[in-house]
Amino acid sequence: MVATVEQELLLRSEIENFLIEEAELLDDGRFHEWLQLCTEDIHYIVPVRVSRERNNGDGNSSTMNHFDDDYAGLETRILRLDTEYAWAEDPPSRTRHFVSNVRVRPASGPDEYDVRSNILVYRNRGDSSKHDLVSGERHDRIRRSETGLKLAGRRVVLDNAVVATHNLAFFL
Amino acid sequence: MSIVDNGDDVQQLIAAGKEGLAKGRLPAGLLANPKLYDLESERVFGRCWQFLAHETEVPQAGDYVVRYLAGSSVIVVRGEDGTVRAMANSCRHRGMRLCRTEMGNTSHFRCPYHGWTYKNTGTLAGVPARDFYPNEVDKDQWSLIPVPHVENYHGLIFGCIDADAPSLADYLGDMAWYLDLMVKRSPAGLEVRGEPQRWIIDANWKLGAENFSGDAYHTMMTHRFSMEIGMLPPDPEVAKWPAHVSLSNGHGLGVLGVPPGAPLPPFMGYPQNIVEGLAAGYGDQDHVDVLRGTAFIHGTVFPNFSFLNVMLGKDIKSRPVPMLTMRVWRPLSHNTMEVWSWFFVEKDAPEEFKQESYETYVRTFGSSGTFEQDDAEVWRSITAATQGRLNGSQMLNFEMGMGFGELPDWKGPGRPLAGGYAERNQREFWGRWLDLITDPGSDSSQSVTLRTVDEAAAS
Repeated sequence: MVATVEQELLLRSEIENFLIEEAELLDDGRFHEWLQLCTEDIHYIVPVRVSRERNNGDGNSSTMNHFDDDYAGLETRILRLDTEYAWAEDPPSRTRHFVSNVRVRPASGPDEYDVRSNILVYRNRGDSSKHDLVSGERHDRIRRSETGLKLAGRRVVLDNAVVATHNLAFFL
Repeated sequence: MSIVDNGDDVQQLIAAGKEGLAKGRLPAGLLANPKLYDLESERVFGRCWQFLAHETEVPQAGDYVVRYLAGSSVIVVRGEDGTVRAMANSCRHRGMRLCRTEMGNTSHFRCPYHGWTYKNTGTLAGVPARDFYPNEVDKDQWSLIPVPHVENYHGLIFGCIDADAPSLADYLGDMAWYLDLMVKRSPAGLEVRGEPQRWIIDANWKLGAENFSGDAYHTMMTHRFSMEIGMLPPDPEVAKWPAHVSLSNGHGLGVLGVPPGAPLPPFMGYPQNIVEGLAAGYGDQDHVDVLRGTAFIHGTVFPNFSFLNVMLGKDIKSRPVPMLTMRVWRPLSHNTMEVWSWFFVEKDAPEEFKQESYETYVRTFGSSGTFEQDDAEVWRSITAATQGRLNGSQMLNFEMGMGFGELPDWKGPGRPLAGGYAERNQREFWGRWLDLITDPGSDSSQSVTLRTVDEAAAS
């Protein structure tokens, strides 16, 4: 069945709302609520990117990644933040996730969508005026479940070969 | 120190450091001092051997990677003849960067500016419009400048720009025996998985280097989260078991034992086929015996090449698995470094193990790693907090382990202390650094790059 323009707009709006609310949870540090938006079979991956010649592809590594987490990996990161010893993020960085250019395409499953969006994450810590920026493109798999939309996969393609922040102690 | 900020300050800090280290003290103002950066670049990085690449990053003829050595971009390339060379990534005509990618495969490097072309052995192959030159362009004279010394230690390729450098074997000394614990664990050798992770930390490079050389002590507090959520045994002194091993030339490491009674497997939990091949890989029993009771290996090859081989769970639900990372702390300024971090695994390990070990690396000590994160936060905060006259003039306490005896019956070389918590390696790291930055050397070694070019031109 071919979707009407109205149906496409409604779907994109619904998914954009999901991404915006998800970003709010991340920026507010409500990580357990964020994890509830993830499916238990989630794969969260951020490839290392290298500068290659144009005819050698986009430079995204197929073998080395900055993140390569399943649900237990994400959960471990969040449980860590609950302790009094997560020095890298306590006091927390101030992050702001800017999500834009949302593109929704049907995925292989009937209740799944392949969603691409642009992401810009601003990070500032302590009393320094310096900030770090991480720019990239998210390739998300979003799944409709009985309890609403869920994040079933996320691959973030970075726009840096050398990551310009002192660690990736936050989610992209 | 005087109130007026002048060059004497730095000399006083250096003098206080040299005098203080013998008593376990070091002035904080030496840790990330902007006035010492250029001196350090010349006298430390201009003289010492530094890690460039692993041979499995360039397996085929024509494979190259671009690295940095003492401030210069260099190409590490396997030539058509199978030999791995390292050469300046800069055209002999106008100095243009030849490789503007990080890696690739090529038979020739062609300069985008005027088209001077070099074979992947570095030899000049062609100069466009050569009729316009007064003389034939001598291909031997105008080939790419080779890194004066390049040596391969069981796959680890090091370079040094000092023409007067000792051999790599002499430079490593007894550190070679301990590198063997990792690089010779399997007769098949190690392989690098993928590309190195690279990221920037606003911290001085020496804080990473000295930490890896001997700081087991920080595990109990910096990485305390891991005990709280069950990734390490709940004993906060889990990393205190010997040995803290001091070597020559500023190299140092810890080969830390499994805590008595801890439910950890022998041989760091390496797979059965690796354990069975240990004696064949090592070629002796002493290495096998040392690895049997080891839980962590961490160390630094002076100045800025470090390694970590540790058994950890990749998450709170997984059993501990060993992983091996090696990294370079590349200085960018007095308060900024770039980390290059590689993941290594035995070539002949089972695929399932390789994957689990890789995941353990990425999640614990990679750029997003839950352990790595807190180290970076500490080092950047030290860098910031030791600036300024008041904070920089304080003496820091490096006394830990002073007066401890040597560990008896240790099977490896060097000087093993009878305790995992100690700061002798850190004292010797800083001592070596102070010796180098205060040694003017011969006249020639102060213009090492120029002399190399002149020699190349004369040959």
